[in-house]
Amino acid sequence: MSRHPPRASGYFRTSYAQDHALIQTRLEWLATAALAVALCGVPLIASPFLLDLATQVLLAIVGALALALLTGYAGQISLGHAGLLAAGAFTVGILFKEFNAPFWISLPAAAVTGAALGVVFGLPSLRLRGLYLAVSTLALHFVVVYLGGEYESKRGFSTGIMIDPPSLLGVSITSGRAWYLVMLGAAVVALLLAANILRSHTGRAWRAVHANETVAGALGINVAAAKLGAFVITSSMTAVAGGLFAYHRGFVSVEAFSLYLSIQYIAMIIIGGMGSLLGAVLGAIFVTLFPYAIEALVGMLPGSQRYAGSLFAVNYAAFGVVMILFLIFEPLGLVGIWRRLQSFFLLWPFKQRPVGGGRK
Amino acid sequence: MRELSPRFAELRAKTAPQLIVEHARVKPGEIAFRSKHRGLYRERTWRDYANLVGRTARGLAALGVKRGDRVAIMGDATEEWAVCDMAVQALGAISFGIYPTASVSEVEYQMADAGASVFIAEDQEYIDKILASGDRLTELKSIVVIDASATYGYDHPKLKRMDDILAAAGPIEAGQAALEAMAAKVSGTDPAFIVYTSGTTGNPKGALISHGRHLAGTYTIVDHFPTLARETHRTVVFLPMCHIFGRDIAITLPLISGLVPHYGEDVEDLLRTLVEVAPTVLFTVPRYMQKFASQLLVGIGATSSIKGLAHETAMRLARPVARRRWEGKSTAIDPLLASVARAIAFKPMLTKIGLDQVQLAIAGGAALPRETAALWQIWGVNLCEAYGQTETGGAFISAQAGPFPRPGSVGSVVSGWEVKLAADGELLVRGPDVFDGYWRNPEATSEVIDAEGWSHTGDIAEWDGNQLRLVDRARDFIVTSGGKTISPSTIENSLRGSPYIAEAMVIGHNRKYLTAVIEIDFDTVSDWARAHDISYTGFTMLAAHDRIKGVIAAEIDKTNAELARVEQIKAFRILPKQLDPEEEGEPVTPTRKVKRKLMQERFKDLIDEMYEDSEERRVTAAAGEVLGAN
Repeated sequence: MSRHPPRASGYFRTSYAQDHALIQTRLEWLATAALAVALCGVPLIASPFLLDLATQVLLAIVGALALALLTGYAGQISLGHAGLLAAGAFTVGILFKEFNAPFWISLPAAAVTGAALGVVFGLPSLRLRGLYLAVSTLALHFVVVYLGGEYESKRGFSTGIMIDPPSLLGVSITSGRAWYLVMLGAAVVALLLAANILRSHTGRAWRAVHANETVAGALGINVAAAKLGAFVITSSMTAVAGGLFAYHRGFVSVEAFSLYLSIQYIAMIIIGGMGSLLGAVLGAIFVTLFPYAIEALVGMLPGSQRYAGSLFAVNYAAFGVVMILFLIFEPLGLVGIWRRLQSFFLLWPFKQRPVGGGRK
Repeated sequence: MRELSPRFAELRAKTAPQLIVEHARVKPGEIAFRSKHRGLYRERTWRDYANLVGRTARGLAALGVKRGDRVAIMGDATEEWAVCDMAVQALGAISFGIYPTASVSEVEYQMADAGASVFIAEDQEYIDKILASGDRLTELKSIVVIDASATYGYDHPKLKRMDDILAAAGPIEAGQAALEAMAAKVSGTDPAFIVYTSGTTGNPKGALISHGRHLAGTYTIVDHFPTLARETHRTVVFLPMCHIFGRDIAITLPLISGLVPHYGEDVEDLLRTLVEVAPTVLFTVPRYMQKFASQLLVGIGATSSIKGLAHETAMRLARPVARRRWEGKSTAIDPLLASVARAIAFKPMLTKIGLDQVQLAIAGGAALPRETAALWQIWGVNLCEAYGQTETGGAFISAQAGPFPRPGSVGSVVSGWEVKLAADGELLVRGPDVFDGYWRNPEATSEVIDAEGWSHTGDIAEWDGNQLRLVDRARDFIVTSGGKTISPSTIENSLRGSPYIAEAMVIGHNRKYLTAVIEIDFDTVSDWARAHDISYTGFTMLAAHDRIKGVIAAEIDKTNAELARVEQIKAFRILPKQLDPEEEGEPVTPTRKVKRKLMQERFKDLIDEMYEDSEERRVTAAAGEVLGAN
């Protein structure tokens, strides 16, 4: 991971493990602890509506982190994210309907399905780049969604598959609080997984492939394996997110996995900031909450009843405008704004780094 | 006067390798130093240190190095430098360092003068310098290269790799025992090393210094600054270790105080190393403090208005606090004002260059401009000035004890040494631990040390209470054609206080008025040029630019405003190139001290131009013809 230079002086490292530690300074420990307490405290004070929003955000974070790894770090464009979520959700749904499988079987099964699809998604990446790769992943999206739809109609679940809530240690997870904690756990695991991949050989290989495939190959990196690995790991993560989504909703249907969903996830990593895990998190928060914010804004307008019908269209349009604005004015995304804010204080009382750039 | 510590006499009987052995026995697992390799600070314990030195000494013995032989080491300040030096001393041989920036002819001169049998080079760069002398160095038997990475294709018969030598010298674990046996055979009165003086006039002279005197002499620093012995301190090693001051810091002080040296990946990465290590004690030469200060000032000058205001406010709070402290009139709220100033601007500023944890900074080796010292103290760095000479064998003659001493003096005399001023103001010093004499040059020795044992420093000084104030080098005084005696270094120091001036030399001996040649500071001046949309392709173009001349003129006017009329600089010229000690015949020493005479010869045209009156004559002549025709 590309860390900022130390925020204070006096950090000499005597082992590479120290150099790679996720949390290095006392301030970082304090901040992490405070954040953990705050996140665990949310269910105690938030209203059911806000808690549901938070749960949605946490689920979106898992998917966004996977896409950030694939596109932001490994440099492989994918428009098939919704297809992978659908694959995970349908794996859970089918296993439940056909075999009444508990979640500790169906979620790993979703991961395996995702990994297998990752190989299929990834194979074109060995030959195709950029737009062509994007189109090939798009094709796979339609294949998955088509297969799901076929299953629904052939088995007579044309309105969708109903799934019972999963139970953990004999307790059925139904309440909003329980779901919040489950999703929080999933998001934390996904974040740690992503951070650890990035500070290991695998993550460095991905970034090298992103920067320049030829050079990466010359450095001894197996480019094909790195690309396929990126697809497999991130597809697996995404499919698990899809499975969790299915359990949370208690319902699986192809309508939920439109191309618009893929675009939303891409928006998350663009608006959040490409090539940054923090960006994926910020993007997931922004994109998930955005429609609700628009709704609230429209609700404040006088005579809001009259616009209620066109709310969906307004949402779409506003979303597009925001994406364009970000691409033009803040290509680094939300994380770019955050970093600028951070460096304003880190550089105090200077505007630029006062030393280090000078020639001898 | 307080009683002299018994430690002086104890140390006088010892050698540095013996102290390493003692530490390796008493505290084998404690850190002796840290040295950065590929991003990590490798920690060396005292046991490691003893093992390394012992094995290296065995390797050198196998090369034929024996008691009394001279061994040269050339390279930047690194862990290996220290280990090789200690290994040479452990064998009873005499080590000496050559400046990494020394030119080929200087290397050859010092090698021949010392009659060295082994030359240890840090890397290929220095091999090139020694091989350039060809076969003229008849006493040289081996050239040893430490980092052999760029020596592919070098197959000189004398050239050997340190790795090969060490591999043949037995297992590393056996080093300590070997060192113990060797170190026991060398006594404190034996000669330990030679330090070549910088040679601003004539050829460098090699000052020979013995083991015990050097240790006891260096202990004056610990004695003067008790915090060094009381606590463990981190410091960063970057000054060349061939200089007596560099040797004190990297090798000797760690043996007799709580100082833990840290070597960076490369001396070029100094700022990075400073930030990573955050030294609590800093030993430096004034040039670095001037350079850092000017970089910070340029950065503050280019900052946004809010941040600039924060800095300005902090300065307004801190200036009177510093002034009152120098006058000894600190008030009760001063600590509060100082901590506010530190919080809003100075601490984050110092953090950027890793100096925020410095409790004690000591500048020595050259005169520290008063303004620079004052500025650092306002910023909250306890910067003290120290004065010593190669000839005092590593001892300081005097130093400001601080904390936060009033700038402008070199402090009080260290304990155990006597200082008096000769009739002409020359500072004479006498102590138990002066050097043994110049190597193979008894005439020069007797010129410096008189019959009563007083060492003549060549520096003119005066007393200010019990504090010493240095005025100038005796031979550097300028007597103008008007008969005024002027000390050029006072003026030069003031000029060097400007962020845009790297080096200045004042001229005016037997002339009507004073002039100066200026070397601009490329980093800060090019920053200024970029900020003011001046395009340039290199140093020469920048140095010749009219706007830059304007900047320098303004800086000189500032200095002139503080000077008496006869001392004012009436004209100046900017040197068209950077002074580079590695070039042959360049008028600076490897420590970047100006060789005045050579400078005057080298830039004669530039200087004569400033005293040029031919234009006047031509005008008079032209006018005369007209007048004559009438």
